[in-house]
Amino acid sequence: MIIPFLAAVFLLQAPQRAIAIDERLAADANLKVGDRVTLSPIPETPGDTVVISAIVRRGTDPAEVARSEYRIRMHLDHLQTLARYGDRVDRFAIATRSESSIDRTIDQINSAAFGFEAHRSKDIAVGTSKTFQVVSRFHKAIGVITIVASAIFLLCIMLLKVEERRRDVAALRLMGISRRTVMRSVIIEAALLALVGSALGIGVGWLGSLFINWYYRGVYRTPVAFSIITPSIVTLAVTLSLVLGITAGILASLRLVRTPPLVLFGR
Amino acid sequence: MPIALAWASLRRHGTRTMLAMLGVAVAAAMLLDMVMMSTGMRESFRSLLLSRGFQLRLSPKGTLPFDTEASMGNTRELVRKLRTNPNFVAVSPVLGGSIHFPRGDSVVTSSALGLEPRVQGDYELVSGRDPLAPNEIVVNDELYRALGARIGDTLAVANGYDPQTREYTGVRRLVLTGRVRFLYGATRQRAAAMELRTLQQMGGSERDDASSLVMIRVREGASIDSAMEFIKEQGPRANLVSTESALDQVDMRLRYFRQLAVILGSVSLFVGFLLVTTLITVSVNERIGEIAVMRALGVSRAHVVQQIVLEGMTISLIGAFAGLLLGLATGRYLNGILSSFPGLPEAIDFFLFQPKAAWTALGLLALSGIAAGVYPAFRASSLPIATTLREEAIA
Repeated sequence: MIIPFLAAVFLLQAPQRAIAIDERLAADANLKVGDRVTLSPIPETPGDTVVISAIVRRGTDPAEVARSEYRIRMHLDHLQTLARYGDRVDRFAIATRSESSIDRTIDQINSAAFGFEAHRSKDIAVGTSKTFQVVSRFHKAIGVITIVASAIFLLCIMLLKVEERRRDVAALRLMGISRRTVMRSVIIEAALLALVGSALGIGVGWLGSLFINWYYRGVYRTPVAFSIITPSIVTLAVTLSLVLGITAGILASLRLVRTPPLVLFGR
Repeated sequence: MPIALAWASLRRHGTRTMLAMLGVAVAAAMLLDMVMMSTGMRESFRSLLLSRGFQLRLSPKGTLPFDTEASMGNTRELVRKLRTNPNFVAVSPVLGGSIHFPRGDSVVTSSALGLEPRVQGDYELVSGRDPLAPNEIVVNDELYRALGARIGDTLAVANGYDPQTREYTGVRRLVLTGRVRFLYGATRQRAAAMELRTLQQMGGSERDDASSLVMIRVREGASIDSAMEFIKEQGPRANLVSTESALDQVDMRLRYFRQLAVILGSVSLFVGFLLVTTLITVSVNERIGEIAVMRALGVSRAHVVQQIVLEGMTISLIGAFAGLLLGLATGRYLNGILSSFPGLPEAIDFFLFQPKAAWTALGLLALSGIAAGVYPAFRASSLPIATTLREEAIA
C-alpha cells in the first residue's frame, strides 16, 4: 500500500519537462512562456504535460521557407522516450578543431562507420537551398527575356529620336559637321539615356527590393532576405544598360549618317 | 481604304515597324508565359491528382501526403471499414519509406512505396508486370539504371541499418518484375514499389500496420461530401484531403509564382502598350501635314481614327501571334528549369498551355493595341485643318 502511495507522491512532485517553441506556433496558438501543453506522438492520445520555457526565433533556413509547419525544441532523451525512438538519432553535428582537418575527419568517419555518412555542413547547405537555386535560375531566365525586350525597346526609341531630327542632322552635315561627330553625339546621347535610365532603375529596384522583403517576410514569417541588391548586381545592370544603349546608339546613328543630307531633308 | 492606308503607313517605316512588332512579340511571349504560369500549376496539379480517379486522400494528422515521415496506425481495420461503403470504388493504402540495395562495398538507396498493386494509383507500368507477390518489386528508370539490374533478377533489399550490430535490418530478397513510372515522383528520384505488407514487415513491429496515405476513389455521381462524412464517422486520426483542399494547399505554397506571374504579366502588357503608343504617336506627329491634307480633301474624322487605330492593332496582333510561338518556346524552357523544383512531382507543369490562356494573352494585347491608338487617333482627328496646313507649309 505504501509503495503506490510513494510513487504517486513522486509523480506529483516530479519536475515537469520544459520545451521551447517557435514564434509562429506561439503566435498562432496564443502560447506564452510558462504555459503548460500536452505533447503526444499520436494525435488525440494521452501524452506528457510540459512547460514552455522559451520562445525561439527560427534560423534563416531557405529550405523551410515555403513550409508552414511549427517546430518545438526539446531534450533528446525526452523526444526519444515520447516518440518511442529508442536510443536512435537522425544525425550528429561535429565541430572540428580546425578547417583543415575536416576532409580527414570525413574520410575517417566514412571508412570506419557503418550505416551512416558524414557530410560537410557547406554541402548540406547547398543541398537544402536547392529551392532557391531553382528560383534563382528561373529569375535569370526571366532576366534574359527582359533584357531582350529592353534592348528592342531602346533601339526603337533611339531610331525614333534620330528620325525626329533628320532635318537637324541634315543641316549640320551640310554645314560641314563630319559624320563621325554626328555619330559621336548620337552615341553619347544614347549612353546618357542608358545611364539615367539605369540610375532610375536602381532606385526603383531598391524600393522594389524593400517591398519584396517586407512582403514575403510577412507572408512566410521568416527572417530570410528574399531580395538583396549587391554592388555586383548594380555593376552588371549599369554595364548591361550602357552596352545596350551604346549599341542602339551606334545602329541608329549609322542609319542616319549613311543617308545623304539632301535625302534627310526630304528633297 | 483605312486598311490600305494603315498598311502603307506601316510599310513606309519598315525597320521601325519590324522592331515594334518584335518588341510586342517579346512582351506577348512573356505575357503568354505568365498567363500560362498563373493558371497552369493549379490545372496541372489537379489533372495529376485526378489522373487515377482518386478524389479523397487520408494522411497523418497535421500533414499533407508524404510531407513528413509520419504514418497512421490500424491501417487494416481502417481500410476494411472504408471498403464497406458501396460508393467507394477503390481504397488504396500506401506506406512510404526508404530502402537500401547493398552492392558489395556500396549501397544504392531509394524511396519505396508499399501498396496494393491491384488498386494502386501511384505508378504506371512501363514494362514487365505488377509486384503481385510478397517477394516482388518494381522500380523506376532512375533506380533501374543505378542498380544495373534486369527484370527477373533477385535483389537483396534492406529497410535500415543497425550501427551497433553492424547489420542491415528488414532484409528481403525480392524479384524485380517490372519498370514503372511514378506519377508523383520528383525529378531524378529513385523509387520502388512493392506490396504494402512486404514493406510493413520490413519496417518491423513499429510499422506492422502503418500507412502514410490512404487514397479513395468515389463512384462517379456519388456525393463527395457524403463520402467525407462517412470517412469522418469512421474516426480515423487523420487529415481528410479532398482534391480541392489539396489544390488550395499547393496554391498557398506556390503563391510566389502566381504573384510573380501577375506582376510580370502586367509589366509585359504595359511595356507592349507603351511601345505601340510611342510609335503611333511619333508616326502621327510625323504625318500631321498628310493627315491635315486628307481631312481638307474630305476624308472623315472616323476614317482617320480607324486608320490610326488599325496601325496600332496591326502591330499588336502580328507581334502577338509571333509572341505566341516565342512564348511556347520560352515557356517550355522555363518549365524545364522549374520542373527540378525540390519535392514537387516531375509531372507538374508550371507552364501548361491552355487555349484559354492563349486567347486571354491575345485578347489583352489586342485591347492594349486599340488603347495605344486611341490618344494619337484622337489628336489626329481633332487637328485644326487650316492652321496645321499653314504651319506645315511654313516648316
